[in-house]
Amino acid sequence: MNSKETPTTKLIWFLQERAKELSCLYRIEELLKPESNLEDVCKGIIEAVPPGWQYPESCQSKITIGSSSYQSASFRESPWMQSANIQVFDQPIGTISVYYTQEMPNEDQGPFLKEEVKLISTIADRLGAFITYQKMKYVFQEYRTAAQELLDNTKTEWRVVLDLLRQTDRNLYLRISHKMLNHLCWTGVDEAKQLLEYYSPGEPGDDEELLGESNRPFYRKTLISSSDFLSDQTFGIAADHLNSAEILKLIQKWIQQDKLGFLVKSLISSSSPVAEVAETIRRYRRMVPEGIGIPEPTRRSVLVSLIRRFFSEQLDFINTAKQHIEIDDVFELLHNMIYTPESLGRLGGKSAGLFLASQVLKKLVNENSLLADVKIPKTWYITSDVVLHFMNFNNLEEVIEQKYKEIDQVRLEYPNVVQTFKNGHFPPEIVKSLSAVLDDFGDCPLIVRSSSLLEDRAGAAFSGKYKSLFLANQGDKADRLEALLDAISEVYASTFGPDPIEYRAERELLDFHEEMGIMIQQVVGTRAGKYFLPSFAGVAFSKNEFRWSPRIKREDGLVRLVPGLGTRAVDRVSEDYPVLVSPGQPGLRVNVTPEEVARYSPKKIDVINLETNSFETLEVTELLKEIGGDYPGLDQVGSVFEEDHLRRLSAFNLSSVKDLVVTFDGLLSESPFISMINLVLKTLEEKLGTPVDLEFAHDGTNFYLLQCRPQSHALVSGASAPIPQDIPPERMIFTANRYVSNGRVPDVTHIVYVDPAKYGDIADRATLLAVGRAIGKLNALLPKRQFILMGPGRWGSRGDIKLGVSVTYSDINNTAVLIEIARKSGNYLPDLSFGTHFFQDLVEAEIRYLPLYPDDEEIVFNERFLLGSPNLLPELLPEFGYLADTVHVIDVPGVTGGRILQVLLNADLDQAVAVLATRRTDTTAVEVRRAQNDQPTENFWRWRLNMAEHIATCVDPERFGVKGIYVFGSTKNATAGPSSDIDLLIHFQGSEEQRDMLDSWLAGWSLCLAEINYLQTGYRTDGLLDCHIITDDDIARKTSYAVKIGAVTDAARPLPMRKQGQPRELPLK
Amino acid sequence: MSDKAFNPFAMAQQQFDKAADFLNLDSGTRELLREPIREFSFLIPVRMDDGKVKVFRGFRVQHNDSRGPCKGGIRFHPQETIDTVRALAMWMTWKCSVVDIPLGGGKGGVICDPHNLSELEQEKICRGWMRQMVRNVGPFTDVPAPDVMTSGQHMLWMLDEYERIRGEKYPGMITGKPVGMGGSLGRTEATGYGVVYTVREALREMGIKPENTTASFQGFGNVSQYALLLYQQIGGKPICVSCWDQHDQTSYTFRKKEGIDVKALMGITDRFGGIDKGKAKDLGYEILPGEAWIEQDVDILFPCAMEHQITDANVGKIGKNVKVIAEGANGPTTPEADKVIQQRGIFVIPDFLANAGGVTCSYFEQVQCNMNYYWEKDEVLGKLDVKMTSAFLAVSERARQRKLYMRDAAYIISVSRVAQACKDRGWV
Repeated sequence: MNSKETPTTKLIWFLQERAKELSCLYRIEELLKPESNLEDVCKGIIEAVPPGWQYPESCQSKITIGSSSYQSASFRESPWMQSANIQVFDQPIGTISVYYTQEMPNEDQGPFLKEEVKLISTIADRLGAFITYQKMKYVFQEYRTAAQELLDNTKTEWRVVLDLLRQTDRNLYLRISHKMLNHLCWTGVDEAKQLLEYYSPGEPGDDEELLGESNRPFYRKTLISSSDFLSDQTFGIAADHLNSAEILKLIQKWIQQDKLGFLVKSLISSSSPVAEVAETIRRYRRMVPEGIGIPEPTRRSVLVSLIRRFFSEQLDFINTAKQHIEIDDVFELLHNMIYTPESLGRLGGKSAGLFLASQVLKKLVNENSLLADVKIPKTWYITSDVVLHFMNFNNLEEVIEQKYKEIDQVRLEYPNVVQTFKNGHFPPEIVKSLSAVLDDFGDCPLIVRSSSLLEDRAGAAFSGKYKSLFLANQGDKADRLEALLDAISEVYASTFGPDPIEYRAERELLDFHEEMGIMIQQVVGTRAGKYFLPSFAGVAFSKNEFRWSPRIKREDGLVRLVPGLGTRAVDRVSEDYPVLVSPGQPGLRVNVTPEEVARYSPKKIDVINLETNSFETLEVTELLKEIGGDYPGLDQVGSVFEEDHLRRLSAFNLSSVKDLVVTFDGLLSESPFISMINLVLKTLEEKLGTPVDLEFAHDGTNFYLLQCRPQSHALVSGASAPIPQDIPPERMIFTANRYVSNGRVPDVTHIVYVDPAKYGDIADRATLLAVGRAIGKLNALLPKRQFILMGPGRWGSRGDIKLGVSVTYSDINNTAVLIEIARKSGNYLPDLSFGTHFFQDLVEAEIRYLPLYPDDEEIVFNERFLLGSPNLLPELLPEFGYLADTVHVIDVPGVTGGRILQVLLNADLDQAVAVLATRRTDTTAVEVRRAQNDQPTENFWRWRLNMAEHIATCVDPERFGVKGIYVFGSTKNATAGPSSDIDLLIHFQGSEEQRDMLDSWLAGWSLCLAEINYLQTGYRTDGLLDCHIITDDDIARKTSYAVKIGAVTDAARPLPMRKQGQPRELPLK
Repeated sequence: MSDKAFNPFAMAQQQFDKAADFLNLDSGTRELLREPIREFSFLIPVRMDDGKVKVFRGFRVQHNDSRGPCKGGIRFHPQETIDTVRALAMWMTWKCSVVDIPLGGGKGGVICDPHNLSELEQEKICRGWMRQMVRNVGPFTDVPAPDVMTSGQHMLWMLDEYERIRGEKYPGMITGKPVGMGGSLGRTEATGYGVVYTVREALREMGIKPENTTASFQGFGNVSQYALLLYQQIGGKPICVSCWDQHDQTSYTFRKKEGIDVKALMGITDRFGGIDKGKAKDLGYEILPGEAWIEQDVDILFPCAMEHQITDANVGKIGKNVKVIAEGANGPTTPEADKVIQQRGIFVIPDFLANAGGVTCSYFEQVQCNMNYYWEKDEVLGKLDVKMTSAFLAVSERARQRKLYMRDAAYIISVSRVAQACKDRGWV
């Protein structure tokens, strides 16, 4: 190196060197494909190495493995060299060396840079791993053969074993001799009894002592010779009484039992790292190749420890899992785990659920051949605490505090957190493992899924809260590895996203020590054109919470199917419709006429574009134009729409597909899919002891299970609401006990009630239609999801609008619950629609549907409340005032002294109740508690700013004569502390009277805020608002605080106000 | 709920009485035509998928077959009533008569909700219906067709059951079958083309050249699309069309004053006649509110969307130059609005004449089936033109002669033809 160079050129030189090294490494990664042979790889490396070194022209390299060696063409040895060992199973098997042909200036280590030293050892490591991978293929084969030979040849084998043992593990040999002696005594061999009596009396220790761990040296010394004699005698007797096979079997059994001691010890200690556990299990496996001879209690204890360590500490889970998982299964899993040497971590909820489900199904394959079709995609697991090592490695620990910040701030900072994570580096051993994982997967698309510890806790679903990312996994290996690392870091970052944090806060799970495991899964699908996609995918639930026909029972289950990737089935997608099927009643479909089927069919499809390496959403029709019959399993997915007829596709005429509708008709009626998914749901529900929620995909040939978790978490159903038993009758508005789904609507403020009797009396069609229009207007007017619609018969009736109010989906899309009332007239009970007119829209929008049968026994239907309460309709919609007899709009808090209506739905009990309740204060309590927990200073100003903004939106400009409100000072500047006040500038332009009103209104706010502040911080103030009133005049003359408006420095910030005539804002959530 | 308040059959009878008064029909004829000539009400027991038996009620009403075999749909509806079926059957008699096809009127149904039935169960209902009716339907007796919540598939099941029992092939015993299974070509175009055939004749009578006219269309479904195509073909200039937007849950009007390009619009339209708003804008269309179609300064209005679209609220907005309204949809005009239109002297081609192309094509399907020889599409549409033209000319001539409003003339001519047939047969 030339020392005269400037620092900049030095830096550039340095970077160039790094780039050379990296490209050298990438070239080598390219060579290490699983299918390459060793010779080619070595030759390739020889070529790839020199360009990576500082002086490529004088650089040459050589690899020696065992007796073979590979070297550059004109290779000659020289004194200027460096080398690294190639290790397989921790044993050096060769070296790789780099030579300079002439002397070069001295660097960190001879002529070599320290980066080059690292580089050569990395190359040696990777080559070692490659050779290991190649060898493993053979090792397993050889091992099998050896085990078989041993079994075949038992005649005098035991003597060989015993001799070997005597020479290698004397203590074990003695312990086994004693065991044999005892065994012989118990089986009643007299010689053995004599032998035991002869040696036992007066001896300071017997086999008890020997079995223990505390052999005292002096004792052993004195005993050795006699022990040898004793052993010889014992086995002599044994040979007379037992046959060779028996003796060998006993010896084997005792050796195994003896060795199990270490296993249990290592597994039960929660501080032993995964690496050690893995090693322990490997040793255990070597000892017990077929799993025979372990005492049952030991086996169980080992198994439970393994389940606890890798999957979950939840007792329910362990209880179920231990019935279905074997130690061998865990061992298989270990092959596919990635962890740091010190990792203790588990695999997380998603992994645990899927693994358990797959084991349950695997074990039942013999009972039902349908289950044999269920496959699990190839998966690698990263243990959950690797995220901590990653954060530690990049000094990101402080991010953990994110969860204690205000949610707004978390939201604000999240993009930065993501970027920080994405720019982080992974510990080298993880990179190395992931590189090997990519070798294993090849270049098929991958999905990186979150599998966090919280995800397996009952009651906390976290569905969709954490990221799952698709990777096209195309291109050269360096790029693919880069993309994989990037995806993993993004999933890691999602732990600190606002959604999961808010969700955890709501469920008081913030203090749980969350860790993020990762599943790297092969994406199910096939290549079609430039796209990669499964034929179809979806989710399945063992309990159906959205029954569209009274004939469907809750136990009939529900499947949501979409073409292509399952993302569109998992999430609710607006303007598109997954196909719904109830596996217990596959014939009852939501949509019946060909027109309905076509309208409510999936129109879009998610795929992976292999050319752009991206995840894309396409129109189904566009995709089919492009790939046509190449679509995997198209005949199962699509039907042709001809005139007004839907015709199932046959594999024969795929090419002539013009107007294709996704119906899954072929799949549902001509394949065993429905029976299979029904069986899977039923089996898992029974064996796991809980309703389940599955994700699956189908590549046109095989069905793959992707996820399995308890359904109480399911996104499509809300959790069931507990039904209080002691509600005073006067507070109940209605109850229901038929076809109830799950859910809870906590804060209904308005009821829209269409009186069935009055509606039935309407004679002319125009008036009937007007009722529909009035409902549409109310839908736009009333607060979204805070009102319920109750009406006769079938909402959305089209032809015969006598049967129900004629509305379209847009006329009801803001309601929280849609209620259909079936009143008896004579002996006749009308059928309800179960929302079929827009059932799928209701599902996608999470609008609850409830049928009411007021004339059933034991049903409460408080008609007096519904008809007797003041009707707001004439006031809200004067043009529809004439319908006031029929359409009732009830302001619930208005007529009940501030109460609200809660609708509680419980499908387990098949009960629902609408009850008047005082506004729940829990949410505020939680807010307060949360505020007390965390003390970062940012919260003081943020809370104050929120409050200032809120006050501004609450001010009624006309009533108070206020033109504008501004915030300034410590709140605006984000410097407010726990005792700071909130400085407000109020631009006032009204009368004296208004001024007085404004002052007292503000004083009230001030006191309230002071009280809240006290609860949060413990600081007592007289009032929290410091309001400065300014007028037009002040602004014109720039007097007093008015200068703050539009000032160059530290200007007051205007706050958005309620516009004139806009309805009053709802209370704070 | 009291059924007295709203009875569709009573309304149909009222309407008939008006025509009967005008025609001064004798009491015997009145009595005969006021009621269906035959009614069938029967039970269909069905073994359901779960093994239990459920019994459904089925109907068939044959209102009048003096002019030929009855023709009419089969409805699956959970709240079906005999009065609804009676009213619809009577309506079919008049509809077949107004286009002068040799068929009578019928209607049928089953009280059931297909949403609660599997495909297999629906098939059993169809076959059960046919077993009950096999002696009273047939290509020369009564010819069913798809209707509310029934489709070509249901027709094929019924046809198959009929043929199995009779042991022979009778493709003409039912219509609405898929093409290739006895369906007719040209059904997609029939209604829309039929509307324009009548408009073309109306313009000819008024001495207006189609190429000098402009028009505004409501709806962009099957009827409207083909009406637009043919209207453009005969030289007219459509300047705007409105359609329902599924995403926004509202309708829009798409206008291009220099004339809209129907083919291009069809290229950016979904299966349900929803035009892609963004793409239309790119093609240079103005996007106006849904109601705007009626306010345009055009010569012809084509309400082809749904019922009750021209009301007393918007009838005043109809452009000054509008000369013709062709009702492609069923009942697009409310009675109040109709009065206003009549007073303004706008020439109305009433719905059951203007959109009779559909039923005419069903008749053609039956004719083709009966001779087991199927026409090319051009032949179907050519014959449709002839039928529609002569039907229109008969009505307009009568309207001129008797100085009648077109709607009344159409109704009266159809009733009088049926009454005449009954007399000729010596029934009354």
